[in-house]
Amino acid sequence: MSIGKILLVIVGILAVLAVIIGLSISGVYNRLITLQQGTDAAWAQVENVYQRRADLVPNLVNTVSGAANFEKSTLTEITEARASVGRVSAPSGGAPTDPAKFAEFEKAQAQLGGALSRLLVVSERYPNLTATAGFRDLQAQLEGTENRISVERGRFNEAVQAYNTALKSFPAVIFAGMFGHTARPYFTATAGSDKPPAVQFDFGAKTVPAKP
Amino acid sequence: MLGLWLVVPLRAAEVIPAAPRDHFNDYAGLVSAGTAQVLDAELTQLERDSSNQIVVAIYPHMTSESSIEDYTVRVAQAWGVGQKGKKNGAVLFIFSTDHKLYIQVGYGLEGVLPDALCKQIIANEITPRFRTGDYTGGVQAGVHALIAATRGEYHGTGQTVADGRTGGQSSPLQTMVIIFVFGVLFFVRWAASRNRGSSVYGRNGRTIFPGGGWSGGGSSSGRGGGSFSGGGGSFGGGGAGGSW
Repeated sequence: MSIGKILLVIVGILAVLAVIIGLSISGVYNRLITLQQGTDAAWAQVENVYQRRADLVPNLVNTVSGAANFEKSTLTEITEARASVGRVSAPSGGAPTDPAKFAEFEKAQAQLGGALSRLLVVSERYPNLTATAGFRDLQAQLEGTENRISVERGRFNEAVQAYNTALKSFPAVIFAGMFGHTARPYFTATAGSDKPPAVQFDFGAKTVPAKP
Repeated sequence: MLGLWLVVPLRAAEVIPAAPRDHFNDYAGLVSAGTAQVLDAELTQLERDSSNQIVVAIYPHMTSESSIEDYTVRVAQAWGVGQKGKKNGAVLFIFSTDHKLYIQVGYGLEGVLPDALCKQIIANEITPRFRTGDYTGGVQAGVHALIAATRGEYHGTGQTVADGRTGGQSSPLQTMVIIFVFGVLFFVRWAASRNRGSSVYGRNGRTIFPGGGWSGGGSSSGRGGGSFSGGGGSFGGGGAGGSW
């Protein structure tokens, strides 16, 4: 076998290797893109439900301030929290990559959530208010929105976890950074803010012997 | 990594029940059998008319440590109630010994079944009757309110998902693919046994191509006569709950 032939074989082997490596890189790359878009879509849903809650605030404040001498401090707290949420979540277009910005967003939302749950607790002292159909509807909407928030937060975390895991697993970890992929922050599990406020079921009812 | 460790034990304590066979499922014996049949027929007809899938599931108690709103959204999502594109499903969950109920509303029905309406249906139609012991009447009134709210939102095909699956009308292409796959498998089995005697059987005498596995492959098997089959809808936590 002449040297020329040997060289040809080596070149051939190298070409095949290059094709295999290229294919596997493009496969991993496509997978990363799919997962990244999954986190963006999940984030859009998160923003969606948080926006829904923010949109409820003016209505709630109007309804509540109608009640005679309702605590002014609670209302101011809510209005301020609502305003800071608006400032924080202004830049959009994809899931956040900056942990600091993400923490800021989460903190502002937690503040609004806390203020809203305090409002519901305080409003229990105003039976005239809580008896109105308008207030009860708003309360149901607020509870539903808190549930939606917790659902979408959970799904966002799952999406980010899948993406981050894919980034850190073997072939991807070598070149993911070159294509601008970085690990994304996710929600902390127990902020307390993601618990729906004042969804108190009547556990006392268990003792009533109303059996089917 | 750490996150997984935290999540897995939590979920392990929870049992997501298998998807129900019918639109109306009373696993707790709460309502009379006659009413259950009538309501199932009404809900099945609703799916034919509007493609909306409304399912009622009555269990004795929850099989989870989570809160009811958390648990039921996972169950409804797992069942895939509602059509895939429209996401027009809703599930009324009732846990009779827990004295709790919840209406989970799919994304596509949130417009006609807003949380406030769900709360009103529960507070005005269902729980007052439950408190007096009239479970049949409460469930009936609740289901009728749900049907009234969702009728007209979407247009149906005159068929339920279950109709389409149990009809056995697979397309010619599907049939050809199945015949082809079977043909190949039998050929491989035959060729292998011809060439190498018993090597196609595992060491313990287990066959590599177990015959039993094939019969369970169809999507329609095991659903004999049930009126419900999930269409792949999804849920985002909309709805409301209550207790009695």
